[in-house]
Amino acid sequence: MSAIKFWWVVVAFLSGFALAMMAEELIVNWRNDRLEFSLSHVHFLSGGKPLEMLHNAAPVPFDFQMTVYSGSRNHVLRQITDQFVVSYALWEEDFKVVKMQSPRREREHLSAQEAEKWCVDQMAMDLPRLAPETPLWARFEIRAEDGKEGPLFGGSIGDSGLSLTSLIEVFSRPARAAQSHWGPYEAGPFTLEDLKRSPRRGS
Amino acid sequence: MKTLWLLALILAAPLSACKLPDGEEKASPRLNVNSRYTVESVRLLGTDLKISNALRVEVDRIVGGKYDLSAIEDLADRIKSEMHLADIKISVTRGTTPDHVIVNLEARQQQQKFDLNVAKFVYDSKEGWNGDGAATMNFHENAVTFGLVSDNDTLVERYAGIRARFERKSVGTDRVQLRFEFDSFHTQWNTATLSEAPLSEIYRTRQVFTPEATVVILPPLDWSFGVSFDRLGVPFSSTTVGGAAAAKTESSNAVVNTLRYHQRWGSAHDRREQEVNASYIVRAGTGLLDSDRAFTRHLARAFYRFRRGRHTVRADFAAGRLSGAAPLYERFVLGDSEMLRGWSRFDLDPVGGTRLLYGSAGYQYGILQTFYDTGAIWDTPRQKEARQSVGIGFKKECFQLAVAFPLGSGRVDPIFYAGMNF
Repeated sequence: MSAIKFWWVVVAFLSGFALAMMAEELIVNWRNDRLEFSLSHVHFLSGGKPLEMLHNAAPVPFDFQMTVYSGSRNHVLRQITDQFVVSYALWEEDFKVVKMQSPRREREHLSAQEAEKWCVDQMAMDLPRLAPETPLWARFEIRAEDGKEGPLFGGSIGDSGLSLTSLIEVFSRPARAAQSHWGPYEAGPFTLEDLKRSPRRGS
Repeated sequence: MKTLWLLALILAAPLSACKLPDGEEKASPRLNVNSRYTVESVRLLGTDLKISNALRVEVDRIVGGKYDLSAIEDLADRIKSEMHLADIKISVTRGTTPDHVIVNLEARQQQQKFDLNVAKFVYDSKEGWNGDGAATMNFHENAVTFGLVSDNDTLVERYAGIRARFERKSVGTDRVQLRFEFDSFHTQWNTATLSEAPLSEIYRTRQVFTPEATVVILPPLDWSFGVSFDRLGVPFSSTTVGGAAAAKTESSNAVVNTLRYHQRWGSAHDRREQEVNASYIVRAGTGLLDSDRAFTRHLARAFYRFRRGRHTVRADFAAGRLSGAAPLYERFVLGDSEMLRGWSRFDLDPVGGTRLLYGSAGYQYGILQTFYDTGAIWDTPRQKEARQSVGIGFKKECFQLAVAFPLGSGRVDPIFYAGMNF
């Protein structure tokens, strides 16, 4: 009887731990004097409009923004923004990613998961001369330019002016869905001292 | 004047470098891994209408070439415009042989038989409202248009009236189009114009009949030629009857020639987009057409626009020369909602000029725009004086809300513009 109780406790603990791990999406690491991030449970190339566009041979730009706060959650210590243009090879059925900000980099023949991880890896940042005990918070956001700002009337305006056809097209269109976005995912508070011991997880 | 010529040269420089965009465009497809594939075919789905030969040439150019989404979007826009379709969906699938793709252009709605069109709707805080709208019926390759116009912006007069037009979009070949237009306008005059122009130059009505043909020489270059038969109702002509000026109908018939070049690289969907639009118009009134007015009018206009992301720069240039006894509506005007914004044309030259030189440079970030205009209008060299203005406002495609200030006028007297203008 006592053995059954013990195993129940272990199973409950492990499943609770696993669920907690699953729920935590932003993981912060300190490696090679750099702050690195991981979004292991976030998949921006797994469905929705961006994937539909990619499978239709159109490139999709994704805007990434990583912000680290220090001292209090109102003080921005460092912020990095970058854009990654992702495209999907129709024949090879794999992804290509181009990092647009300097230094410009690109990778090809990636699976969806590899492409996602590569993008997130590029957002690692240096935090020079930061006291190890300073409390930090991290915030990560991703947006896809899948509902990108196009022509006001869908390119229907010609040299001769604004036509009724273009107006009908605009007003019969369903209201534009919000830009696909993921996050914000947050982690903290943590300190560099904490990170040197173990990675920090957030949600 | 030296400043004006210098500006003209600076603005013309990008036009001479029209080959540059090729290099720019090459960078863009590298973002798309599919640009390594070859287009096997382009299919037009959902419509049984035939596209013009000019567009067929564009389709053929894409087939066999490397996959370029920007070029395909541009083609879809042109097909949509030519066939009056509400929308075209682009879809891309694997081809029948490796590394080839098939592009499907699917018309989502049948051809629009009837359409209403607003070409101009502008409010100018000094001159009031201006509007130009029309209704068009499309049948087969013909279009019939009826329109209403009231314009106190582009000429020295305010003209209001009707337009009726018949267009045949293909005459034997898609490269030749035919157009007949009849306009009937009543005119109103500003007091400044009435006080400076001879009474015999003032007309109350104007009817214009213009048969015109357009030949697409080589896309994007086309040439239009025709004749403009204008009848002017002059209430006080120089002819006297019993010592008093008599009402008279005068004719001003002219041969019209227009050479037009319009090229665009990229589309509104792309991060980078460039556009060049240039035209040269000659109108010659001649006794051979039984015209009471003999004159020659040359007008060259061009603009260059470059957009990268949210940044847009634009340069405009215009130059004109008029000789002979032309009616007032042929004379050049500066100080409207397009050229030398911020100045009133009645302050510059209430009867218009016979010489025109104009340049403009503008920058736009998102919808916020700024511009600098400079230009001169004159009849005799002594009258030649360069004017300048600056402005700021909001602009989204054709819609704009702007305020412009004349520079060097000795007073701060801004003009507000709101509306849309093509």
